[in-house]
Amino acid sequence: MAAILVHLSLGAYLAASGAYLAWLVKPRPWLSTGGRSLLGAGLVLHTASLWVAVAASPEAPWRGGQLFSMLAAATVALYLVLDLRYGLPVAGTFVAPLTVAAMVPAHLGGSGGAQLLETQVHLAGWLLPVHVAAAALGTVALLLAFALAVIYLVSERQLKRKQPGRLFSRLPSLELVDRLGWQLSTWGFVLLTLVIVTGSFVTHEVGLGFFTLNPKSGFALLAWGLLAASIQARLVAGWRGRRIAVLVVVGFVLLVFSYAGLLTSTPIGLGGAGKKGAALQLQPPDREG
Amino acid sequence: MASSFVCIGISHKQAPIQVREQLSVPTDTLQARLHQLKALPGIQETLLLSTCNRLEIWAAADTSNAGADLLASLGPIAAPHAFIHKDDAALRHLFRVASSLDSMVVGEAQILGQVKEAAAHATEAGVFGKQLNRALARATTAAKRVRTETSIARGAVSVSSVAIELAAKVLGDLTGKIPLLLGAGEMALLAARELRGVGAKDFLVANRSLERAEEMVKETGGRAVPFSELNSLLERADVVICSTGAREPIITKEQMAKVVKARRFRPIFFVDLSLPRNVEPQVNDLDGCYVYDLDDLEHVANQNRDLRRGEVDKAELIVEEELKALLAELKERTGAPALARLRSRAQEIADAEVERLLAQLGPLNEKQQRSVKAMASAMVNKLLHTPTARLRQETATGAGPVARSLADAAVELFGLDLTAPDADAHGKGEKHEAHGKGHPASHAGAQKPLEQAQAQSASATPRPAQANETPDATPAPDPSQAKGA
Repeated sequence: MAAILVHLSLGAYLAASGAYLAWLVKPRPWLSTGGRSLLGAGLVLHTASLWVAVAASPEAPWRGGQLFSMLAAATVALYLVLDLRYGLPVAGTFVAPLTVAAMVPAHLGGSGGAQLLETQVHLAGWLLPVHVAAAALGTVALLLAFALAVIYLVSERQLKRKQPGRLFSRLPSLELVDRLGWQLSTWGFVLLTLVIVTGSFVTHEVGLGFFTLNPKSGFALLAWGLLAASIQARLVAGWRGRRIAVLVVVGFVLLVFSYAGLLTSTPIGLGGAGKKGAALQLQPPDREG
Repeated sequence: MASSFVCIGISHKQAPIQVREQLSVPTDTLQARLHQLKALPGIQETLLLSTCNRLEIWAAADTSNAGADLLASLGPIAAPHAFIHKDDAALRHLFRVASSLDSMVVGEAQILGQVKEAAAHATEAGVFGKQLNRALARATTAAKRVRTETSIARGAVSVSSVAIELAAKVLGDLTGKIPLLLGAGEMALLAARELRGVGAKDFLVANRSLERAEEMVKETGGRAVPFSELNSLLERADVVICSTGAREPIITKEQMAKVVKARRFRPIFFVDLSLPRNVEPQVNDLDGCYVYDLDDLEHVANQNRDLRRGEVDKAELIVEEELKALLAELKERTGAPALARLRSRAQEIADAEVERLLAQLGPLNEKQQRSVKAMASAMVNKLLHTPTARLRQETATGAGPVARSLADAAVELFGLDLTAPDADAHGKGEKHEAHGKGHPASHAGAQKPLEQAQAQSASATPRPAQANETPDATPAPDPSQAKGA
């Protein structure tokens, strides 16, 4: 059942991508409306598929494909909220195909991607759920901030060079893109901070200490530092526009590197993947015996 | 020798802004320039249009070298970028320019006013005659039809409109944004209207003359501010529209580098509508600064042109229709004076002979007198039928040179005096005989205002020209209209 729903949602996302790309070529309102509707339908099906999967096997371990699937659903949800509020079909042309790309691992089935946890982790307390939720939401916020930053850079380049391309009229104003990007990156930074803090506590809970330097944690910290610098520069020196957009793009790329490390190792916390057997240490104490 | 039309010039299509800057003709030297042009060999009438985007000269001339002479008068800098159109092509260009089909922003409204203003200047200088007037009247008719019968004027139709759209692309909703208008010219006023239309109200208007700025504020709203506070104004403004007559940049990169930091990198959009440019182009290199001058706006204008391609095609058809009508009218007029004078002369002779004969014959009753007069008129008509038909045929079929040759031959053979006051009147009378021959309007002289000629042209077939006809739809040239098309 879950597989069917995933397939259907993927189909809806694909159709939405087609509608948005067609809108790029011919900016007819019905195309962007159709894309939005299809994206919404895909989100409903997608959420249902995740729900059915969890309900069917609550004890089954999460895998990389599923993580990306969840992130994709969250991205679509946040995009739809922004689109309804501000009217950003051009971002839909970015989000819809990206969602399809992120869904492919999920579409391939539960075996796709590395197993995130060797077994269901039942760490004491609320740290892990907060950590995972913050990571998902923060990543989605930064993903959209990244998309807007790219849109900003493209649009600003065309304006500066005074050579508007064919898509220029479809691009939103620099002011709107800058403002939304700023809000999203700020929320992304706050959530990323929460991820790092909770991750440190989680790793400490499992006996790995508060911080262990490895590529995954290193990239995450670099991304955090860059975002912190961008916020500082904006608040103190008044930076905005292109400079901030570049920092957000680089920050998100660093975060992607961090996720690349996550897919090949145990993701919990910043220090969880550094040592062999760390995943086993994450198993709940009542199963060790 | 019969005259022909010629047009030479440069425009935004061929010449970069640096060339146009050097060739532009300030209003205060326009009269002298027109007199210089009129003094060139063979130039009978002339018209000079100088805007931000073009410098063009139309002339009616009786020499084939007129184009080269006019071009030479612009100096060597113009030659590599200039165009020369002759006869039909020159008239077509006039029609296209007046109809805004040759403008940077197709469909913009200012150019027609600028053409009329140029005609007013030429009339004032005494170099604008009947031939150009007739052509311009028909061009104005074409321009009006283009605006009313197509959708070409919808959307951003002027440089200022495009500029405002670009400003919105950078700054988003312009409501609440602070526009700074530098210069109080016509273009600045248009831009202010556009800005007010999109919700900007808190205008800052700066001008070297504070009084002029205050006058402008009465129309735009906002506040007049001293020009001397430019730096502080730049720190506050979001959109800066420059339309001054300054010959040097009044906003430099060095100056803006400081301002940008002071305004904490808030974006600022410059629209430089001046010629020469008021904002150093390098200002565009600074973060958050966007500078668009007239040439830059052409890229956006081209986009509009593409979007309106269908409408442009319709407009081109209207231009061709009106051009064809004008050409037919001109061709008809090629032989008309000679024909009218010939008929007039023949009738004079016949009338004199009839009078002499009646005196010799003694008393005749009324019927007999009518018969004699009818016989004389019939002889005149029969004698002149073939030459009249031939001349009309030549003019109607477009064989201009042949028609001119025949007309010239008639003048020579019959010893006609075309300077006689009734020559042209008879021509018009013939044309409008079904509606009232010999109306006083037909005697309008070479300096007849454009509107009168336009009224005649527009009503060529359905109604006679009215001497005091008021141009109901043609506003008088507005001397306040400045460059900017």
